[in-house]
Amino acid sequence: MRNRKTLTRRDFLRDAAYASMGAALGPLLKEEIRAEEKVKVILIRDENVIDSQGNINPKIIQKMLDDGVCAYLNESDPIQAWKKMIKPNDIVGIKSNVWFPLPTPKELEEAIVKRVLDAGVPKKNIGIDDRGVLKNPIFKSSTVLFNVRPLRTHHWSGIGGCIKNYVMFVSTPWLYHGEACSPLASIWNKPIVKGKTRLNILSLIRTQFYNRGAHHFDQRFVSEYKGLLIGNDPVALDAVGAHLLQLQRIAYFKEDKPLDNPPTHIFAADEKYKLGVSDLRRINVVKLGWMEKSLI
Amino acid sequence: MISKAPTLSAEKGDRKGGMGQLLPLKIEDYKTDGKDEVYDRQTAFRYMNGAAELYRAYDFKLLRVRKYVKKDHPSILVELFDMGSSEDAFGIFSYQTEEEEVGIGQGSDYGGGLLRFWRGKYFVNAFAERETPNTREDILMVGRAVATNIKKDGPKPKLTQFLPGEELVRKTIRYFHLHQVLNHHYFLSHENIFNLGMKTNAIFATYLFQGEKAKTFLLMIQYPDQRQAEKGFKGFVKAYMPEAASSNTVQTENGKWTTAKLHQKYVLVIFDAPSREKGEKLLQSTENNLKRRRP
Repeated sequence: MRNRKTLTRRDFLRDAAYASMGAALGPLLKEEIRAEEKVKVILIRDENVIDSQGNINPKIIQKMLDDGVCAYLNESDPIQAWKKMIKPNDIVGIKSNVWFPLPTPKELEEAIVKRVLDAGVPKKNIGIDDRGVLKNPIFKSSTVLFNVRPLRTHHWSGIGGCIKNYVMFVSTPWLYHGEACSPLASIWNKPIVKGKTRLNILSLIRTQFYNRGAHHFDQRFVSEYKGLLIGNDPVALDAVGAHLLQLQRIAYFKEDKPLDNPPTHIFAADEKYKLGVSDLRRINVVKLGWMEKSLI
Repeated sequence: MISKAPTLSAEKGDRKGGMGQLLPLKIEDYKTDGKDEVYDRQTAFRYMNGAAELYRAYDFKLLRVRKYVKKDHPSILVELFDMGSSEDAFGIFSYQTEEEEVGIGQGSDYGGGLLRFWRGKYFVNAFAERETPNTREDILMVGRAVATNIKKDGPKPKLTQFLPGEELVRKTIRYFHLHQVLNHHYFLSHENIFNLGMKTNAIFATYLFQGEKAKTFLLMIQYPDQRQAEKGFKGFVKAYMPEAASSNTVQTENGKWTTAKLHQKYVLVIFDAPSREKGEKLLQSTENNLKRRRP
């Protein structure tokens, strides 16, 4: 990455609002907006996915996943769509997230497993794991990965999203915490994951938009957004996610409360590690389903 | 939850034993479940993922987690952190103090079902696995019992003594070492422009001038020596206020004033002052305190 100016608070004041950093960092990092095709990201929401007791409806989340994946891959049949991504002889690791206050919904994990099975992959060749991936034989020999986790703020890296979810593929995660976790995307070049990810799913069923609490979690700052963000570009998903969390904070606090640390790693993933697109202007968010108070 | 405790050195073993005694086995009808967990700076990640980084930003030594159970009541989890010093116990506590002070330990904060307090070199989180109408009182009861067992108070960071008292919002005094924590309180730059590290001590505090609605912030950094303070000061001026002349005062893009000064091994900065005069006056008062009270 070429030398660039040190960004300070004053740069953001100059740009009035940091617009999820995308707009603010973008012009400084890029000499001009590239002319490439936009990256496609699916946002699908359903107001009934969480019932009045707070339970997630497995049928509805399955339908959200199916509709989202079909839209992403331009297929009408979900099984055919999944068959585009995997073959029956693939060994499939589903990288989830077990963080106990806000884990990946098990109903979403089950919906993914169902479609992987439907695509012909035998159960013995499917694994779901988070902290144990380095010791899990499925992940060690995997040919395909699916990356799924909830969207939340993270005091050190700005947000916890798709890019960060692969931190468990290294044995020393804390070594990736420097400069607001900006080297995180380098993990995606490790042999255990490189080129294997067929789909990223950022769960927006519940999002944590502000940090507080013993483990940086406070139920008051969790939103039932009832959505999924689906795509193949983890950087684009995280950029949209960071933008959403900012808008949720503004909606809740009636003012912008910046992230503890700006999500530098998203832009480093784009500019330095070439993992995907972070510029919101180059991301096409296709919206499906219920869009009341979608904010984006 | 992870039940396997890490292997501990003799020193850590002593700490672990001592910490166990600070947590009562029984608090009224709540009893320990007998499955304490102990984590150190390395293993804390297993318990709380990346949140461990916050504790590691201070001199965190050991964490003991005890669950208290009572029939037909949600369990209460207590996390007792040995922060190495009372200064750092205060520091981790000061990271978030936006809720209700409930008079436990040397400083406490209760909100959203979470009690946080510090006493001596210990910092404590107490929270229930789920909230019920009685949760608050039960958590506070458990917190009081733990605070009583700790017995010994400890000093706050010395730097707090140099803060001008007038118009200071006392609840907003933050103590830390690293730039990541500074960014939590006041995002300054994604880079470490002050060259902060574990050997630097810093205070960040909010001031509300009479008749003003907007906040003004004071940052005071103590470096190990004057040479390092000069380096930090130059790094900040170059990155943040490159247009500043010898006065080291600038009007920033929000119309407010930032003013900075190097004093021996200290760097003092006022952010977002409503006027040049008010900013420079607050800076001068702080410097006067440093001269008078000789740290």
